Amino acid sequence: MRILKGLLICVFLFSAVFFTFANGSQESSGETAENEPVKLRFTVWSGNPDHLATLNGIADSYREDHPNVEIAFDTIPFSEYVTKLTLQLSGSNPPDGGWLLETSAPTFIDSGVLAEVGDHIKSIEEYDYADFSDPAMELWKQGDGLYGIPFSTSPFVMFYNEDLFRQAGVPTPPEAIENGNWTWENFAESARAIKVETGKYAFQTFNGAGYDARLFHTIVPILRAYGVDMWNEEGELQLSTPEAYEALSLYHAMIFDDKTVEPPGTQADFFIGDAATTISQISRVPKLSDADFEWDIAPLPAGPAGRPWVIGQAAFAVFRASKHPEVAKEFLAHLTNKENVAKLAQFFPPARVSVIESKAFVEANPGLTSDQMEIVQQGIKNGTVLPSHVNFPKISMEARGAFDSLWQADADVKATLKDINKQLKPLVETD
Amino acid sequence: MGTQMSNLDRQDRLLGYIFISPQVIGYLIFVLYPLIAIMVFSLQDYNLLSGVREWIGFENYQTMFSENSLFLKTLKNSLVFTAGLVPLNVILALFLANLLTKPIKGVTAFRVLVFAPVITSAVAWAIVWKFMLDGENGIINQLLALVNITGPNWLRSPTWAMVSIIVVRVLKNVGLNVVLFTAALMSVPPQFAESASIDGANSRQVFFRITLPQIMPSVMMVLIVTLIGSLKVFDHIMVLTAGGPGNSTMVLVYYIYYQAFQFSEPGSASGGAVVLFLVALFLTLLQWNFRKRMSYQET
Repeated sequence: MRILKGLLICVFLFSAVFFTFANGSQESSGETAENEPVKLRFTVWSGNPDHLATLNGIADSYREDHPNVEIAFDTIPFSEYVTKLTLQLSGSNPPDGGWLLETSAPTFIDSGVLAEVGDHIKSIEEYDYADFSDPAMELWKQGDGLYGIPFSTSPFVMFYNEDLFRQAGVPTPPEAIENGNWTWENFAESARAIKVETGKYAFQTFNGAGYDARLFHTIVPILRAYGVDMWNEEGELQLSTPEAYEALSLYHAMIFDDKTVEPPGTQADFFIGDAATTISQISRVPKLSDADFEWDIAPLPAGPAGRPWVIGQAAFAVFRASKHPEVAKEFLAHLTNKENVAKLAQFFPPARVSVIESKAFVEANPGLTSDQMEIVQQGIKNGTVLPSHVNFPKISMEARGAFDSLWQADADVKATLKDINKQLKPLVETD
Repeated sequence: MGTQMSNLDRQDRLLGYIFISPQVIGYLIFVLYPLIAIMVFSLQDYNLLSGVREWIGFENYQTMFSENSLFLKTLKNSLVFTAGLVPLNVILALFLANLLTKPIKGVTAFRVLVFAPVITSAVAWAIVWKFMLDGENGIINQLLALVNITGPNWLRSPTWAMVSIIVVRVLKNVGLNVVLFTAALMSVPPQFAESASIDGANSRQVFFRITLPQIMPSVMMVLIVTLIGSLKVFDHIMVLTAGGPGNSTMVLVYYIYYQAFQFSEPGSASGGAVVLFLVALFLTLLQWNFRKRMSYQET
């Protein structure tokens, strides 16, 4: 018994000492001898064989000049990417670099897990850092530091099912644009006709998750059409403004009065023909390869404040915990040079102006025509990234819970928005 | 006796410790160490992403138990879930087990049917039910429409979401308890019921006065296991509602998961885990105590 007691005390003391003094990950010195074998591991969320083949091809081209460096791309499924990456970074075998989504950027930068890459990148003359558009880089900067290089700057577009528009006898989005009335208000009217004539929902929320994980992706395009956002550049919430009320009243009426929007708790998949439109990105185009209906893409509907262009962004970053940060930065520069950004542009809309404006980019995506790619091109040039925040994980969860009160048929939109604003305020307006 | 131990006794004792040491070491590393670590973490402000930890005493607990906190709502939801699920599961299991021990034709097929959901993947079960409970196109509401009832939007209604999850989970897991009760019922000598019937007891009296007391140890064991299982529910919540709508189905384990892996705050997640441990311990001790009083076979 005494032995057992002794063991227990030892374990407790060991735990206490370990947890008291353990102090997280530390930055590696980063010094690597020139020909020392180096293994780099980059995490990505794509398991698409074509994406991985292109990335591995770029890695092979880097190895031609650096035969001592082995590079592996490690796929983590998107749904658990941030969770697993966080755990890997706090473990003993952290990845050297990886993809990061725009919503994770401020949290990751603020917590100090990303390595500064700007000094290295800007020191390479042929890299042409100025080729990246300023708005595209904004999210990845903090102070004088740069913590990521965007590889995907993908605008939100409206996918539509031309057959359902024709069947309902309403103008398609390009026809509405030509008539100057591709607005949310006119779309709401067309949506009623689509529902009556075809029995299908007129609008599916972003990836069918607009009441949950993709809440921001769904409502930000509507809010921006009315001249507001979730919060403005000064970090002030805008949900209790008259503009937000006007925008979300219309959307609420579409869901619950007109019943033209896929309602909460119901799935109406655009990609199998169950809805006439959806907002998404061109990475979803392969889902339409076997579609048995005519489809196309269009810019988002406009509002009183004009046409919104919303961008979802993802970047390559190097992690401070990397054992070889300097080699990882060098590979990052190779991954995002002009030649390789052009290679990746067939899948991921780039942030390099020279690539965006090239004829090759317009012809790069085998699933889209050059006319459709011009809409993408326009989106990249004019778009602004989704709102992000250092507290984003908490804001996102709180917002989902708070907006659930709005997604009720009998909700008082004005009062509910005021409540949501109040609930989110302590998390958003932190300064 | 204890003070003057012979060399042989000492050797025996040492040998005993050597024999149990693999088990003890395994327990210390894989059970006790994580338990203590959780308690230590709960006293820290720990950012999983940056790895920075600071001792903050009981601040995590103060935040958790502050007025209108999400944790208090979560705790209440967990208790509501348990209070709904445990009686429903145990009563239904007893009822079904009672039926399935009767000499009915094809009873084995019914036993298989009742047990089949237990061996089905919890996630697959939840996904199928998510479609069935779909507000507009779900089969449940379509069936209700046949009798002119407009069903609610089950998983998006703050009132019905919790009820729906309780029912889905009971249907998934009740089969296991049915098997345990069936075994217990079959071990009760039939002469007891026969004697009571000869003495004039009706079937209800036979069940409540003769059979139920006989199987009370199994009932109490099933109650404890079901209760602990209900406090640990995660999979069905994750797939069916993700804690919504409006956090109305946010339960303890989902809260812990969110704090640790979405907010990267293992400190407050560990605080939640400690409370979960204490709640489960308290309710189990309460039932254990009750078991001794209810079951005449126990001492």
